[in-house]
Amino acid sequence: MVEALLRRIGATLATAVLATGVVFLLIRAVPGDAIGEMLGQSAGDPAAEAALRAFFGLDRPVWSQYLSWAGDVLQGDLGTSMRQGLPVWGIVTDAFLVTLQIGLVTLLVAILVGVPLGLAAGSRPGGAMDMLVEGFTLVSLSAPVFWTGMVLLILADAWLGWAPPLVYTSPEISLSDNLESILLPVLALGLLQAGAYAQFTRQQTAALLRQDFVRAATARGLPARVIFGRHVLRNIAIPLVTYAGLILVQILGGVVVVETLFAIPGLGRTLLAAIQGRDYPVLQGALLLTVGVALMVNLLVDLAYALIDPRVRGA
Amino acid sequence: MSDLRIDRRSALLAGVGLMGAGLLPPGLGTAWAQGAPPGGNDLYGPDDPQARRGGTLTVAIANEPPNLDPFHQAGDARTAITVLMYQGLMYEHASGQAKPLLAESMAISEDGLTYTFALRRGVRFHNGQPMTSADVKYSYDYVRDPANGSPGAADFGAIRTIDTPDDHTVVIRLAEPNASLPMTLTNRFGCVVPRDTFANPQARTRLSQQSVGTGPFMLQEFRPQSHIRMARFPNYWVQGQPYLDGILFSVQPNAASVLVALRGRRVDLALLARPQDAEQLQGQPGLSITSAPSLRQCSLDLDCNHAQLKDVRVRQAIALSIDKRAVMQAAISGKGQVLGTIPAAMQESWGAPLESLPYQKTDPARAKALLAEAGLGDGFALDLVSIIGFEWMDPAAVTIAQQLSAAGIRLNIQRVELGVWLNAFRTRNMRFTFNDWGTQPDPHILYYRHFHSTPRGADFRNWNNAEADRFMDAGMASADPAARKQAYLGLQRVMDETVPTIMLYSPDLVTVSQQRVRNYVQHPTGWWFGLAKTWIAT
Repeated sequence: MVEALLRRIGATLATAVLATGVVFLLIRAVPGDAIGEMLGQSAGDPAAEAALRAFFGLDRPVWSQYLSWAGDVLQGDLGTSMRQGLPVWGIVTDAFLVTLQIGLVTLLVAILVGVPLGLAAGSRPGGAMDMLVEGFTLVSLSAPVFWTGMVLLILADAWLGWAPPLVYTSPEISLSDNLESILLPVLALGLLQAGAYAQFTRQQTAALLRQDFVRAATARGLPARVIFGRHVLRNIAIPLVTYAGLILVQILGGVVVVETLFAIPGLGRTLLAAIQGRDYPVLQGALLLTVGVALMVNLLVDLAYALIDPRVRGA
Repeated sequence: MSDLRIDRRSALLAGVGLMGAGLLPPGLGTAWAQGAPPGGNDLYGPDDPQARRGGTLTVAIANEPPNLDPFHQAGDARTAITVLMYQGLMYEHASGQAKPLLAESMAISEDGLTYTFALRRGVRFHNGQPMTSADVKYSYDYVRDPANGSPGAADFGAIRTIDTPDDHTVVIRLAEPNASLPMTLTNRFGCVVPRDTFANPQARTRLSQQSVGTGPFMLQEFRPQSHIRMARFPNYWVQGQPYLDGILFSVQPNAASVLVALRGRRVDLALLARPQDAEQLQGQPGLSITSAPSLRQCSLDLDCNHAQLKDVRVRQAIALSIDKRAVMQAAISGKGQVLGTIPAAMQESWGAPLESLPYQKTDPARAKALLAEAGLGDGFALDLVSIIGFEWMDPAAVTIAQQLSAAGIRLNIQRVELGVWLNAFRTRNMRFTFNDWGTQPDPHILYYRHFHSTPRGADFRNWNNAEADRFMDAGMASADPAARKQAYLGLQRVMDETVPTIMLYSPDLVTVSQQRVRNYVQHPTGWWFGLAKTWIAT
């Protein structure tokens, strides 16, 4: 198992190196660079442009820029943002922590809402509860997150006269202010993912209930509560954990959209601004971090199997 | 009840002021000596005797500056904010005049080549250091040296030497007369920072964390994609000002969230990115809405080297096909001013009357005839470049496509990303495109770089018009306001006839504020100068 994990980490690292190389080349193939935004329509002095380009090392050949960037990364230095002049490491980790918090809280909401709904629906397929849950799932899965977010924003304003706080507060400064600032983004994303979770849980539960061992347990006269608690839940736990890993990655993708909608300074907005401003170091740093996180999530999911499933533990 | 009152005051001020623009004729020696009355002045807006100190004002901004470096960042979003932290020798007064700011007075030699500035005393930088002539010399020498990569370098190109006979006098000598020098020394690129600020290679990066200007507010915190916090500068040179303890600029991702924040009273003040949004706030209790002409222009640019646009008759036909009022109606529900050849806030003072310009009217028949003359009687296809993220361009493009189709021009609309567009613009490959830009209220600064032929100008539109060059050079060299105006009227006539650009309209500056916000006056640049005199009623 350790060997398999190591192989997986190795493969992901290789992918990361490849991906940064590709992004490095691609973003430079797009017309315009960081100088464009700095000069705007005040451009026109070739000497000033050349000086700026030299200042950022943009006058060097691309391969030489890549090599020096990769060399710095290996020494733990992600470089300095061309637009903000701040260290990239600080920019991307600050932004990522914001995104991660929203992602994790959303996942929690999705599980707390989606799993019970899915269990209730799956335990009596075709029943009234099943129909209700199916309706919820359909609506939440088919509404795009930017639409849900916008609707929540407008409804909160129109019905409650409430608007989200203007400035995002991090949880270490004030947890209550923080929760207020992430409330709408989490709801918008959480509703979507709760629908996905409910559907998945329902299928798993319904399939499990048709299994022989459940029938046998019922025949032996075990109460439904015990069958559910001891056998069904335990058995669907593994796919639910796998699903959590998948969903978390999906949520992190969705956070990018809600960040833009709700002015949250997370990784999504940072990436968007870096692309628009051609801030190559931030873009590359953020991508590297994203790849690293995907690796971590996969690793954690594998480790979680080991905790839940004794067969994996021994392997 | 909120009221939508159209504030014509700024427009009128702009008109009156510019007639006496800038400077008295050379030969008079001292042009004017203007000291600030004790305890205040009319810079940044009127003093308010009822003003009370205290409180933090929250302002919503839709365009976030990439950084707060007044020397290396050209964007309007940067200037709008940094004017509160950094000051130049001069100030772009709402009237359109350059007035002394860190200078107390300015004298011009008879030949118009030597400007002598007496500096204001008792001015300190945010780091506590007193400001002297050496700081002014350092700052302006830094900007004008192209090796330092400032987008302002070209503006300062007219300067030959800067001398400092004593701590409080700065003498600037020009290579040739340039009547816009005082406006150049204002707050876009003319900021003064302590000498040797950039001796430290890290200095550029620090400007987004710490301000080193002389302005009424100091930078407290800049959190990209979120907010900018400023605090009152306790040693500001105007006693008792500013009134606010602090300002919080909150970056809002879109126009809708600004409206929600205003209605939810989360923000005190906002400048609407879409002036037509004011309609959605009407009737909202506690909000006051003002509207004024701006220095911004939404326009169509024509690359005179591009395909059919090489033929001046084709450009004229396009101009005659366009009904600017209909475009403005579609783009911003008509909440702006239709333009001729100059932005709205400069029209009364420097603009040629629209009715005197033959290509400002809509005449489809004449347009068709011109195209037939050019051998394009059967019509032709043309790409119009629109920039992603500029909302007004989409409805405007559809309207213009309709209008041009009457003359037989089939418009294909191409949407490009801003970075790509800027690159094409800078390398003079703009083709036929929308543009959206602003200016300081001086015709030289407005026109010269954009329209003068290379190498003196950047001639982004490949216009290369010798007659226009002569008018721009005359406008730059003359210190006599009447002669300057004549030169710029001549330029506008050539511009109207040969159509390197079609200025469509200036969107109005629509400011929305909560009732507790007092004495905020919107500057026609759209920059936040007015906050220096704003106070909060309790």
